[in-house]
Amino acid sequence: MSSAIEKLTRLVAAEDRFDHPHEDLRETQLEALNERFQERRDRIKLLGHRAREAGTAEIRRREDMVPLLFPHSVYKSYPERFLIEEKWDLLGKWLGAVSPYPIGPVETSDVTGIDDWIARLQAAGHYVSCSSGTTGKSAMLLASDKDMEWSRRDTVNVFAWGSGVQPARDRRMMGLAPTAAVPKNLVIGQAQQEAFGDPAKERFRLPVPPITVGSLTKMVVLRKKIAEGTALPEELADFEQTSRERQETLDKAVIAGAEALIKYRDEKLYISGLWNALYQVAKTVREMGYAAKDFHPDNCIYIGGGLKRAQLPPDYQEFVHQTFNIPASRNFQNYSMQELNSGMPKCQRGDRYHVPPWLVPFILDEEGGTLLRHEADEIEGRAAFYDLSLDGRWGGIITGDKISLDFGPCACGRKGPSVRNNIVRYADIQGDDKIGCAGTVDAYVRGLS
Amino acid sequence: MNAVNTDLKPADAVVSAPFFLRGELVEGQDAVHRSRDLGVTFATPRIALDRVVHPRTEVPPLLNVPLAEIIDFLVETGERIRNPGNLFVAECIDRMSATHVLPRAVLEAQVKSAAAYLDKRLLQTVVEQNFPDPRALDEWVPKRDFTGRKSFVRAFAPRLIHVLPGNSPGVAVKSIAQGAMVKAVNLFKMSSSDPFTTVAVLRTMAEIDPGHAIVKSMSAVYWRGGDDAVERALYRPQYFDKIVAWGGGDAISNVVKYLGPGFQLVSFDPKTSISMVGREAAASDEALDLAASLAATDVMVLNQEACVASRFIFVEADRRDADRFCERLHARIVEKAAATGDTRPLDMDLREQIDMLMLLDDDFRVWGKTDGKGLVIRSDEPVDFHPINKTANVIPVDSLDDAAKYVNVATQTVGFYPHQRMPDYRDRLASGGAQRIVRLGEAGPSTIGNPHDAMYPLHRFVHWMAHEDGIGPR
Repeated sequence: MSSAIEKLTRLVAAEDRFDHPHEDLRETQLEALNERFQERRDRIKLLGHRAREAGTAEIRRREDMVPLLFPHSVYKSYPERFLIEEKWDLLGKWLGAVSPYPIGPVETSDVTGIDDWIARLQAAGHYVSCSSGTTGKSAMLLASDKDMEWSRRDTVNVFAWGSGVQPARDRRMMGLAPTAAVPKNLVIGQAQQEAFGDPAKERFRLPVPPITVGSLTKMVVLRKKIAEGTALPEELADFEQTSRERQETLDKAVIAGAEALIKYRDEKLYISGLWNALYQVAKTVREMGYAAKDFHPDNCIYIGGGLKRAQLPPDYQEFVHQTFNIPASRNFQNYSMQELNSGMPKCQRGDRYHVPPWLVPFILDEEGGTLLRHEADEIEGRAAFYDLSLDGRWGGIITGDKISLDFGPCACGRKGPSVRNNIVRYADIQGDDKIGCAGTVDAYVRGLS
Repeated sequence: MNAVNTDLKPADAVVSAPFFLRGELVEGQDAVHRSRDLGVTFATPRIALDRVVHPRTEVPPLLNVPLAEIIDFLVETGERIRNPGNLFVAECIDRMSATHVLPRAVLEAQVKSAAAYLDKRLLQTVVEQNFPDPRALDEWVPKRDFTGRKSFVRAFAPRLIHVLPGNSPGVAVKSIAQGAMVKAVNLFKMSSSDPFTTVAVLRTMAEIDPGHAIVKSMSAVYWRGGDDAVERALYRPQYFDKIVAWGGGDAISNVVKYLGPGFQLVSFDPKTSISMVGREAAASDEALDLAASLAATDVMVLNQEACVASRFIFVEADRRDADRFCERLHARIVEKAAATGDTRPLDMDLREQIDMLMLLDDDFRVWGKTDGKGLVIRSDEPVDFHPINKTANVIPVDSLDDAAKYVNVATQTVGFYPHQRMPDYRDRLASGGAQRIVRLGEAGPSTIGNPHDAMYPLHRFVHWMAHEDGIGPR
């Protein structure tokens, strides 16, 4: 690996990694971006295409990078019929256009489904993680062994930094999230377990069947069939039935989760999950007559992801924290996304997410095409990042988030860049006021439960 | 899309968008909204909710104004809209070009051509096509069935909310005319990408006669679609009979939750239009040129902002011939785009999807770039995304029979080349959900008074009232 990238990624576990001011990082980051670009421009087809279109031969200024950042939607850009008609070779070809490493040849003649195909890619060193798009397409994100290795380290560092919990292998791990069984989530779960879990205590998992990519894409396929008019009513009734059964399983699992928490309430716990599931479990625990006073005073909590459109009361975070007796100092929050391979933990004092040196932040205009001039300390706009730790795909991503990035020091004293705790998704703030007569059949597809 | 801008910066220019309330112009800067298309903000007065509803205890003001007088008034309005000295319209175009995705010249042409709808014969024809007996608009029409039972029927003046679209200013003029001809009390909810045209037309009308019942029957206001504070108050059968709404998705689901007995939806659904090019096109270079040119005309209706604009073109040809068609189609689209001066770049997401397809050569081929100057994509099956902003997707098929399966409930217009093949397909297309079949190149024009969105809208607007008169003496 080349020097500037190495200089920055070497800081992965450095105590003072959030203490480098932007001015000190700027030159090295620029150099690292160019290194990465030079190394990848001929290897990632889409990047090469972008560079040619923009006439970019070198990254000399941050602006040069903007046309080379990929919108997050790029990882959803595969034609849906590849998936629906199980055209694995074509899907592989599509993946190949965003991969720095040649894909395949993977034997696809006897692939039984997407889960099988993904397993075969994984055996060849290509890790595909899918986002859980509930209605639309899921993103397919490629990663390498190196990325998995990085995730393993970074997730532990981020959690330890943000929660103040030392990886002392002294906790019972309580997994309360029905999360997608994709490589990245699995690696993170495993790394957290190894760092914080007491090897003598069995990890609790919510008793629900794993959510595989195949089960996620089933929904996508059905939706497409409804739109095309080829889905028949019996098929929809069956699907609704399956959904109801799944919900029942989940409801039972919530009770099992609450019972397990109560059973282990005297032990020091490491609770992990998504807000919605954790809220439901917390509510059940309270209904069973238990509260903060019954739990260990040094519990900690790891939350993956945001609300995912769940409708919860405004005080859901406090409610969860209070139920499980999580001390205020252990309030862990992390800003990251599937598209990145590194986290930005929130500091307790400044209430800000700290950006590590190997993650280069960009603030773009709302459309995502122009870099905003960073004149004041803090500016607001569309977030984009270049994650220099990424190996198995291009690290430059334009997000769907509106953030405020501060190059000034944080109230906690650290001098590195930070993101204010007021992140919103553009999709959530944009109204639906623009009506036209032109539209797609999507408007005719009523949601499934 | 748009949102209320909560942290408005003082440097932003604020365009004023006044309301029109039953004959009166209302100005004010009580609320600031944002038109996200161009990042422009506009300010509106507060909505005086009580003033936009008409009490049920009073008959609608237009009820006993003869239809002929209403049509004359509309015709006069049309003349004034076309008059270059009309300051309301000039000012409206100034303001609109700041908030609209379409270029100024296109908008000007649209407002002028919208006024062409306000033609005496045209309006009369529209009424005649919508009502078996248009007299029902003016009077209680006597009826007698075969048993001898007598009655009177009236197409009674309704109370309507029109949720206007923002992609076609012409719809504003049309909606005003239609609302007037059915003698409705009308509330127009304007769109954030055009909060001006409706008011400009209504002001033009008020100038003719500020006290006329037609003017007293019209209000035009803006609120952000889905704003509960307004919609929960207004969307009630006690105030309105029907809501006439354009669009789909969130726009309609917001409306749907207020529907119930006495408060009905007349929906103009979001639509996609397509083209079918038969193997006859590949028979000669001349035919191919012609078909490509006609297809480009249909793709470029309102620079592809309209629902009648074609987006998917099925070509009965092998890849090689389809590619020859694509090349020609691309050249024609580029010419037309250049002529309108419209070079809006494609949205980031769309650009990305197309760029990726470009890299999957063999299976996809792309003519042009994602720069907003015109683009054609050839693929074996329709692309997943909605081609927009001068983008056409050409799909080679062995037979147009294979293309018929892509017609669905969202399909509006299907253009055919050669037109002789239309009768073979129209039943299947209607069964699939399509609403209109046209000769290729003629997606824009339609026979005056023809059904729209599979209905005769005016017939749906009115409150059909029966006066039973018993069995009279022979």
